[in-house]
Amino acid sequence: MELKAYAPGIYPRSDALVQATRDLDRGRTTQDAVEQQFERDFREFVTVQEQAGLALLSDGLLHWQDHFRQLAERSDGLDARPLTRFLDTNTFFRAVLVTGKPRLRDPVPAPELPAGRWLATLPAPSSLSQAAGRDASAEALAADVLAPQIEAYSRAGCALVVLTDPFLARSGDVREAVAALAELPRDVPLVLQLPFGDAECMLEGLVEAPVEAIGVDFYSTSLDSVPENYPKEIMAGVIDSRSSALEDPAQTGAFVGELLQRKPAGLSLSVNGDLQFVPEPIAREKIARLGRSQLELEDVA
Amino acid sequence: MSEVRLLTREIGSLAKPSWRVKTFAGRPLEEADIAEAERWGSRLEVEAHDELVEGLRAGSLSPGQIDDWAAIYAIRLLERVGLDVVYDGEQKRTEMYDHVAAFAHGFEPRGTVRSFDNKYYAKAAVVEAPSVDGPQDVEEFEFVRAHTERAVKVPLTGAYTMEDWSYDEHYAREGALGGSKERRYEARRRFVSDVAAKVILPNVQGLVAAGAEWIQIDEPAATTKPDEVPLVVEGFNEATKGVEAKKSMHICFSDYSALWPHVLELDDCLELQLEFANRDSRELGTSDEARPGYAETLRLFKEHGYPNVGLGVLDIHSDFVEPAELVRDRILYAVEVLGDPERIQVNPDCGLRTRSWDVVYEKLANMVQGTRLAEEALNGAPTSASA
Repeated sequence: MELKAYAPGIYPRSDALVQATRDLDRGRTTQDAVEQQFERDFREFVTVQEQAGLALLSDGLLHWQDHFRQLAERSDGLDARPLTRFLDTNTFFRAVLVTGKPRLRDPVPAPELPAGRWLATLPAPSSLSQAAGRDASAEALAADVLAPQIEAYSRAGCALVVLTDPFLARSGDVREAVAALAELPRDVPLVLQLPFGDAECMLEGLVEAPVEAIGVDFYSTSLDSVPENYPKEIMAGVIDSRSSALEDPAQTGAFVGELLQRKPAGLSLSVNGDLQFVPEPIAREKIARLGRSQLELEDVA
Repeated sequence: MSEVRLLTREIGSLAKPSWRVKTFAGRPLEEADIAEAERWGSRLEVEAHDELVEGLRAGSLSPGQIDDWAAIYAIRLLERVGLDVVYDGEQKRTEMYDHVAAFAHGFEPRGTVRSFDNKYYAKAAVVEAPSVDGPQDVEEFEFVRAHTERAVKVPLTGAYTMEDWSYDEHYAREGALGGSKERRYEARRRFVSDVAAKVILPNVQGLVAAGAEWIQIDEPAATTKPDEVPLVVEGFNEATKGVEAKKSMHICFSDYSALWPHVLELDDCLELQLEFANRDSRELGTSDEARPGYAETLRLFKEHGYPNVGLGVLDIHSDFVEPAELVRDRILYAVEVLGDPERIQVNPDCGLRTRSWDVVYEKLANMVQGTRLAEEALNGAPTSASA
């Protein structure tokens, strides 16, 4: 079994970018200067992933304020609402206001990454619907907002789309989530990731989901929750994006060994959610350790 | 029956004056900063404030002296608007989390995390069981005590919030990957318990020994994880165990429905000081429709009968200055729902540190005036609630 590792989601800003954006808010620097720092952060993040040997590269969504706003602002019928607490964290996102029939007007541009070697992260249809207070159905958002975005990414050489759904494992409807996923194009492999949630009650229902893999947060989900011979690939969240503690590749290896004994249809390694919940120097080291785990486990897998 | 008299208090933080901020940031003061010191010194009739002004101009004051002046200014502001219970606006603290994490052993700073947009906050990790060498805030309290004749309430960050806002590199280190929910909960419980017993309790004991009569435990994270509210309660009880003083808890911007029935287990908690005004309309009136921010939560207080309520009547996220009549109606509505004015005291929703002192002054002055209007209504024309 080939064991790949990825780091989807929003990557933290460097101290320099934090300072630049603070300075921008206080009128002490220019937008151009901030954009230059964004570019430096992007290049640095790509280098970190390459050095770690990750299978596909992410752009880190460095310009994304949260998982929903870019799409809301680029769609007719959607807008950004006031701040809403993100799960049980001390961070916030802008919920989505439905003002009409949602339709993606202007897809998010693809990152400057080599064709066939990059992955994208998008909100899962059900999470976008949840962020919109259920005022638009997951199916409609899948068909008219996410599908055209995925097609645009596909044309630009995207090799994998990770659909992140932080709400599904907490309060979601698996049937609705699966039905909405059926509205998405399949010309790029899809992963449904359940960050920061206990996936135990979800896994059986997601067997029918039209995606290649299910992303499981193993810092919220016990190993015992994974059924034997699970018929889908599991993208195992073995790096904890909400903890500053650095993972020990040996412990990760031992865990993956136990997971493999349950014989899932496939296995890849990942973070359990956006790395933006730790400061950038810690995130960088976590990616290095993710890569090290991947290398050390290739023989085991 | 005796006349109704409602206590008015602040909750905690006030903005720090620019002359204090810039001094600590190592940035040069401008004439406008010094003018502010002069303006507020005169307005609040701060004794000998010209010494501050001259010292700022000459650059001759130490950071400690600047801190003392900031605290005196804050105390005078709170006195001047007419509050019954005051503190120093937390002028000598960095902010509520860092104040504790930087003092206690066992925490290490980890860096900056984004809260939203271009807003960030600093976060620390617990790396060993936390402890302190002694009480943290006695000197601060004694300074306040020495500079006011009013009653004093000391705000302290709660154990659960310290746990929830920290990274855990100690309690959850082993068995986190693939571990059970019960194991994760137990790790968090041990963290809360240690902070309460080894960091906060020594501070509370020291404060009470120094004469503090009222301790307020701040738990803004209380309902972030609703199934962990029992840990909030355990943390409060552990942090105030055996202490002979008034004890209360402040919670804000949370789902209050998650608090009950767990808060019934709070030991000798005078009241929960909650944020309400943020959820309310600005219309006058004492009907359910006029007071949407209060109805649901006050009914929980009524239904369960414990503890009492610290009624947030000022929205701390807005420069809107609540008219005294709006404050009055919010209080009268609460009395109507609870059926007992003795279960109510009056405060802003939370600390006012995000508002300018000009706005704070007007808001708090109206809060006091509105409280007096409510008392007049309750004492002069008894309602079914106050009869």
